[in-house]
Amino acid sequence: MENYPVLIVVAPFISGLLAGLFVWIEKRLSYPIVLTGLFISAFSAIQVLIQVIGSGPIQYKLGGWSPPIGIEYRVDLLNAMVLCLVSGVAFLNLIASYRSAEKEIGDRTGSYYAVYNLFMTGLLGVTITGDLFNLYVLIEITSLTSYAQVAMGDRDRGPLASLNYVFIGVIGASFYLLGVGYLYMYTGSLNMADVAVLIKGSQGSSTVLVAFILCILGIWIKMALFPFHVWLPNAYTYSPVIFSRVVAPLMTKVMVYVMIRLMITVFGYDYIFNTLHLSDAVVWLATIAVLAGGVMALAQKNLKKMLCYIIVSEIGYMVGGAWMGNQLGMTGSILHILNDVLMTFALFLAVGNMVYRIEKVDITDLKGLFGKMPWTMGGFVLAAFSIIGVPPTCGFFSKWYLILGALEKGAYHFAAALIISSLICAVLFFKVFEICFFESGSPGHEHSSHGSVVIEEAPVSMLIISGLVSLSLIVAGCYSGTIVNTIILPFLK
Amino acid sequence: MRLLAFIIVTLTGAFLLYGTTEFPDWGDPNSPASLHVSNYYIEKTYEDTHAPNFVTAVVTDYRGFDTMFETAVIFTAGIGCFLLLRDFRGKKEHYYQHIPSGVILHVKDEKKLLPIGKEFGYMDKEWVPPDLINKTVCRILIPFIQIYALYVVAHGDYSPGGGFQGGVIFGSSLILLAISYDLKTLVERVKEKLLGIFAALGVLIYAGTGALCLLMGGNFLDYGKLAPLIPGHSGHIRALGMLVVEIGVGIAVMAVMTLIYINIVSEGRHDEGL
Repeated sequence: MENYPVLIVVAPFISGLLAGLFVWIEKRLSYPIVLTGLFISAFSAIQVLIQVIGSGPIQYKLGGWSPPIGIEYRVDLLNAMVLCLVSGVAFLNLIASYRSAEKEIGDRTGSYYAVYNLFMTGLLGVTITGDLFNLYVLIEITSLTSYAQVAMGDRDRGPLASLNYVFIGVIGASFYLLGVGYLYMYTGSLNMADVAVLIKGSQGSSTVLVAFILCILGIWIKMALFPFHVWLPNAYTYSPVIFSRVVAPLMTKVMVYVMIRLMITVFGYDYIFNTLHLSDAVVWLATIAVLAGGVMALAQKNLKKMLCYIIVSEIGYMVGGAWMGNQLGMTGSILHILNDVLMTFALFLAVGNMVYRIEKVDITDLKGLFGKMPWTMGGFVLAAFSIIGVPPTCGFFSKWYLILGALEKGAYHFAAALIISSLICAVLFFKVFEICFFESGSPGHEHSSHGSVVIEEAPVSMLIISGLVSLSLIVAGCYSGTIVNTIILPFLK
Repeated sequence: MRLLAFIIVTLTGAFLLYGTTEFPDWGDPNSPASLHVSNYYIEKTYEDTHAPNFVTAVVTDYRGFDTMFETAVIFTAGIGCFLLLRDFRGKKEHYYQHIPSGVILHVKDEKKLLPIGKEFGYMDKEWVPPDLINKTVCRILIPFIQIYALYVVAHGDYSPGGGFQGGVIFGSSLILLAISYDLKTLVERVKEKLLGIFAALGVLIYAGTGALCLLMGGNFLDYGKLAPLIPGHSGHIRALGMLVVEIGVGIAVMAVMTLIYINIVSEGRHDEGL
C-alpha cells in the first residue's frame, strides 16, 4: 500500500485526538485507542522498512502536491530504521508502563495518553519529513508535549525542571527556525532536497554559513550536547516513569538523526568538511562531552540521574562519530543510534520496574535487589554490559566502529575518551551491582520505623517487555554486521 | 555574569547581522524568495483550487499538513493546561447568596451544603456586583462578536481571515462574558466537558478530512479526491475542503482559548476567578 508512510505519523495522531475526545465520554476507551494507533504506526513502519530495503527510497506527496510546492515525506534507509525504532519503542512502552501510569498519574491517565501519542507523532514526523519547516512544526509538538509530561512527574521538582527545559528548549527551537528562515531567504525553498541543490554552488555565502550554524546549534541544544545539556538530567529524572522510559531513549537520538540528516542531505559533506573544516573542533567538543558526561555521572547518588548523565556522554559518542568526516565514523554513529535506543530503553525499563516497587531509586536504596527482583536486575545487568561495551552485546560493535573511525582520522583523543568513558561506566555499574548484590537490605533494620516493606518482583507485563528488550541487545549485537551491510552502508553510498 | 550575558548577546546579534549582508534588497522582485515557488502560487492558485485568497490556499492546501500540526500545537496547549492546572478537589468553605434578600452566607463547615435553586445561589469569595453598564454593553456586544467570528471563519478562503482568527474572536467573546459577568456564568453556559470535546473534535475534523481523502483513494489531505462526495462542485472541491478544515481549526481554537482562560484565572478550580 502506498499510504504506509503517512499512516506512520497520522495513526498515532488521530488515535491521540480520539483519546482526548473519549476522555470526556468513556474514559476506559482511551487506552485501547491509543494502543491501536501505535500498533498501526509500528506495523506501517516495518512495512516501509521492508519496502525501502527492497526497492529504494519512497517519496510521499502530502495533499498530492509535488515538492517544492507542497510538503513531501521522503523515506530512505536511515529514517526507515529510526521510524521502526521510535514506533516500536512507543508501542512496547505503552504496554510495559500501563500499571505504572495508573499508579503515578491516577485519574488523569486518559488525557495523559492523548499527550503521549502527540509526543510520538512529533518524533515520528520529525524523522520522516523531507521538509525543513514541517520538521520545525513537529519539533514544536514534541517539545510542548514533553514540557507538559515532565511537569506531571515529581510533585515538587517536576514543574521547576520543566520550566528550565522550556527556557532552553525554546531557545533551541528558535535557533533552528531562524536558520530555516535564513535558508529560505537565500533559496526560496523549504524542501530539503531542493535546498541542497540550490545552495550547492554557494560555498562562500555568509547567509548559508549563518543558517548552517544556527540550525546545527539549535539541534545541539535540543539533543543536549555537552555545554547545552543542563536541562536534561533534571527533566528526565523528575518526569513520570512512563515518559522517562520513552524520552530518554528516543528524544536525543531522534535529534542526532536530524543532525545527520541536515549534514548529509541539506548541507552536504563537502561544505562541512572541505569548505568549513569544522571536523576537528567538533570532535574535540564531542570528546569533552563524552568525558564530562562520565565524570558528572560518577558524582550522582540517584540512579535515574546517573543514567541521564550517561546519556549526555553517549550523545558525545554519536556527535563525534558523525563529525569524524569518514565513513567508519558515520557508520558507528548511525549504528550507535540504533544501539543506544535499545540500551537506554532496556535500562529505563528496568529502572521503571524498580521505581514501581521501591519508589525512591537513590543508589543506597537498592540494597539486596538481586534477591528481590531477580528478573528486573537481569535485564539491568545486560543493558549495563551493553553500555559498558562488553561483546556480544550491541554496545560493543558501535563503539568498535567509532574507535576505528577515530583512528583512521587520527583523532586519538576521541578514541581515548571512548575507552575512558567505558571504564567509567564499568566503575559506575559495578558500584551499583555491588550494592544490589552484596549489601542485603535487611528488613526490620532500616524499615523498622514504618513496618517492614516487602519488595517483590514487578508485574509480569512489565517484566516480559523488559526481558525482551534486554535480549534484543544481544540479538542486535549478533546481527550488527547484517545491519551495517543492509542498512547503513547502502545509505552512505 | 551580566557582562558575560551582554557579550554573548552582542556577539550573537553581530553574527545574525553578518548573515544578512548577502540578503537581497527589501522588496526586491528578483530575490530568490519571490522567484522560486511564489510565482507558482500567485499564478496557479485559482486554477488549482478555486480559492481567490492564495494565502489561505498556501496555508490550508499546499502546506495544509503544517497547519494541521499547528492546530495540534494549540490542542496540546489546551490539554497541557488541563493536565497541569485542573484541580478537582472541593473547596473547604462555601459562600452562598440568599437570592431574595441578597444576603451573603459564609459556610465554614466543609460538609454542609445548601440546596442550589431559587433561594440560594453559589457566590464567589471576593464577589463584587457586576457593573450594570458593563453587563448591558457586553450582553449586546457578545452576539455580534460571535456572528463576526463566524463570518471570519466562513470567509477564510475569500478574504483575510480563517479558522485561527475566527476561533480567537469567538473565544474572546466567551471570555468577555466571564469578565463582564463572572466565571460562574460562563462555566454554567459552556460546560467544561463541551469545551474538552470541542478542542479534540476541531483537530479531528481537520485530520479526519485528510483521512477521508486517504479512504477515497488519494494522498493524505488531497481534497481533490473528495469530489464524488459532493456532486456538482468538482471544480470547487478544493476550496470546500479548505472551508471544512478552517471550521475545524475555528472550533479547536475557540475551545482551547476558553479552556486555558478558565483554568488559569481560577487556578484550575473552575469556581471563581478574577
